Amino acid sequence: MAEESALIEVKNLSINYDDFAALRDVHLTIQKGNITALVGPSGCGKSSFLQSLNRLTDLIPGCQTTGEMILGGKNILSPGCDVLSLRRKVGMVFQKPNPFPQSIRRNFEIPLREHGFSKLETTDRMEDSLKRVGLWNEVSNRLSRSAANLSGGQQQRLCIARALALDPEVILFDEPCSALDPHASGVVEDLISSLRGSVTVVIVTHNLAQARRIADHLAVFWVRGGSGTIVETGATDALFTSATDPDAKSYLTGIRG
Amino acid sequence: MVRSKRNGDLYFGIICGLAALCGIGPLLWIVYDLVKLGAGRISPGFFTDAVRESGRAGGIAPVLHSTFLIVLCCLGAAIPPGLGVAFYLTENGENRFRKWLRASVDLLATIPSIVFGLFGMAFFCRFLGLGFSILSGGLTLACMILPVLIRTTVAAVEALPDHLRSSATALGLTKTTILLRVLLPGATPGIVIGITIGTARALSETAALIFTSGYATRTPDSLLDSGRSISVHIYDLAMNIPNGAQGASASALVLLIALLLINFLTNFFSELWLKNLHSSK
Repeated sequence: MAEESALIEVKNLSINYDDFAALRDVHLTIQKGNITALVGPSGCGKSSFLQSLNRLTDLIPGCQTTGEMILGGKNILSPGCDVLSLRRKVGMVFQKPNPFPQSIRRNFEIPLREHGFSKLETTDRMEDSLKRVGLWNEVSNRLSRSAANLSGGQQQRLCIARALALDPEVILFDEPCSALDPHASGVVEDLISSLRGSVTVVIVTHNLAQARRIADHLAVFWVRGGSGTIVETGATDALFTSATDPDAKSYLTGIRG
Repeated sequence: MVRSKRNGDLYFGIICGLAALCGIGPLLWIVYDLVKLGAGRISPGFFTDAVRESGRAGGIAPVLHSTFLIVLCCLGAAIPPGLGVAFYLTENGENRFRKWLRASVDLLATIPSIVFGLFGMAFFCRFLGLGFSILSGGLTLACMILPVLIRTTVAAVEALPDHLRSSATALGLTKTTILLRVLLPGATPGIVIGITIGTARALSETAALIFTSGYATRTPDSLLDSGRSISVHIYDLAMNIPNGAQGASASALVLLIALLLINFLTNFFSELWLKNLHSSK
């Protein structure tokens, strides 16, 4: 486990979709350089929580967030927050691999050039991050070919590389392995594990075994009174062996969920 | 029982075959008619010579020239606002203005071209003082093809997977970059199809042009000169010129071939494009 220091403080977060309260009164501390897994049954607000961390919730009509999310002394949720630089600091990898259907090189050029990197820096960063995800040898001779030609696992690693190229402090993973075959899933999981220490990872997963393998910290989400909330948080091993919340306990021990 | 069902299949097959023939028959008839009447007139000179004897002799060079300029004006004027409106409509979130805009685009699509012609004459020729000119005609056609362009572009952007926009947003890209560098390349085949349909409509338009770009058969020197588009030429030869049928058929044959060629090239290029985008899948 990496050294503990809080990177993100979530206080009193609530997320509403029009009249529906998807998430209520969430408190969570995300440790720097650690892997925090968000687990729990479907529909208890894990993905909403994740998307509010880089304000992707702004894209959803009718979605309102209240409370505080402090990153680097600033509240992510405040209207004055510069979302573009926030999203550069807090990258995201989705369930379905989603490279742009353009060349592999363009997939890096578009975001890197947008954030002010020169052509030379772009090429260097692309190579570095592709090496970091173990994709460089597989694609170095076909960078101008479409990213849509890659396999699902390769596409997902490309998306991770694309996020890494921007040097983010945090990467959010929304069930990154659930659309992949077991082998590719294993490769991506090892890759996420290898980010520990250099990048802070927040991952939503339905795979408890995976959470146990890779996460330093767990946050168990559950529906209480019609809205999702966090019922228990803690170090992964401790929570798997001795959760105190009855729902969290039965979920983690496989009795429910 | 079985036998009568089999007979049913047979009859149904015959009906479908006849229906198919009804679809393709008129096209074959038209082509046959045009070739029989007009093919004799077509020679290299037909494309390079000036119109003589109101089209009964000579070629159609100035007509092709005017047509080309009118279509160019039309596309130049229609594509930027067409794409702009379409992108605005596909942005997230519905509001009253978007609803109103959508409804007016749909309404615009139902307006007959003769009405566009009258509008063009009143607005571009008279009010803006552009007179009977290539520019007036092109702008009038631009108004006419705008709804087609908007609808096809909206359809093309909406056909893109949702996650494209969210993944681009998550990378901290501005809306403009997302639009121009991520969504536009993906939607291009659809947009090209829209532009083709628009071009085809512009090429075959008569009513909107007679009142706006006129029917002078000389070669226009500038966009403010009047000029005769090929459809107007065909119309004039067929309706107003005694013994004009041969010239009309030959010109119509040229128009038909041009349209087929545009169609073919568009399909070819958009398939090529799609193949590049998603080769293996």
